[in-house]
Amino acid sequence: MHQSVSKGNLIRKRKTMPDNVSFAKTFLALERAIEIAQQRHTHITSNISNLDTPNYKAKEIDFERALAQALESDHGFNLVKTHKEHTDMGINASGRIEPFEEEGEWNGFNWVKIDKEMTKLMENNLMYRTAIESLLRRLNTLKEVIREGGR
Amino acid sequence: MNFLKSLEISASGLYAQRKRMDVIASNLANIETTRTERGGPYRRKMVVMSPKPMQDFEEVLTSKAAGVKIDDIVEDDSPFNRVFDPGHPHADEQGYVLRPNVDLIVEITNMLLAKRIFEANVTAIKSTKQMALKALEIGR
Repeated sequence: MHQSVSKGNLIRKRKTMPDNVSFAKTFLALERAIEIAQQRHTHITSNISNLDTPNYKAKEIDFERALAQALESDHGFNLVKTHKEHTDMGINASGRIEPFEEEGEWNGFNWVKIDKEMTKLMENNLMYRTAIESLLRRLNTLKEVIREGGR
Repeated sequence: MNFLKSLEISASGLYAQRKRMDVIASNLANIETTRTERGGPYRRKMVVMSPKPMQDFEEVLTSKAAGVKIDDIVEDDSPFNRVFDPGHPHADEQGYVLRPNVDLIVEITNMLLAKRIFEANVTAIKSTKQMALKALEIGR
């Protein structure tokens, strides 16, 4: 397994496929979307398990912003690093998605709302599955081209 | 793998709610206990929870996703109920008995809450499972 996979919340700064292969950009975008949805899922489960923690504030990742930033750092203006002290261009130096504390309503105990968290869980689950499903369909398209093209 | 962390977080939620149920059950069982080993009636107990960073030191510093842990089980300091019952063996000179400070309504409410939060965690686990299974389809 790739080293940064086990670290979880690092966005990998490598290209999955050479650009001249069909759909390379789509694959990259979908991969990022899956990665971000996975991290968001971890934060939502964390919020749910802390429903009973006094003064707890819900943590959240802005999916769209994180995705936009991730794609920008993939395709955008990247400087070549010629020295180990050079910093990366992109999200931030480490390419990390920082969760923020969500503004909520004080319910007399903490700031977490169970209905909101459950909705987020569902929504994020769908988002994740949609991303994987479209990845699958892209792969099937490629497969189809390879199979039919050889005939 | 990130999903294992999600599962671990949800599991910590399940465990905390189960512990909380134990404490509630203890309160309900002792709702009539007028003498304990320490003397005096039973005192209502409650759990205190706090976020629990998951293992990895890097995670403690960076990621804010955390499970939950039970910090402590504390006793409710509110005054005992005084009930007039001169025939009771634990009655004082004026005939009053000190009864535990357990309120049935409060306990039942907490029980329902614990149950619902437990269910919420189970739903989160199911969701995690679905996502992990969906990811497995990519390789097909």
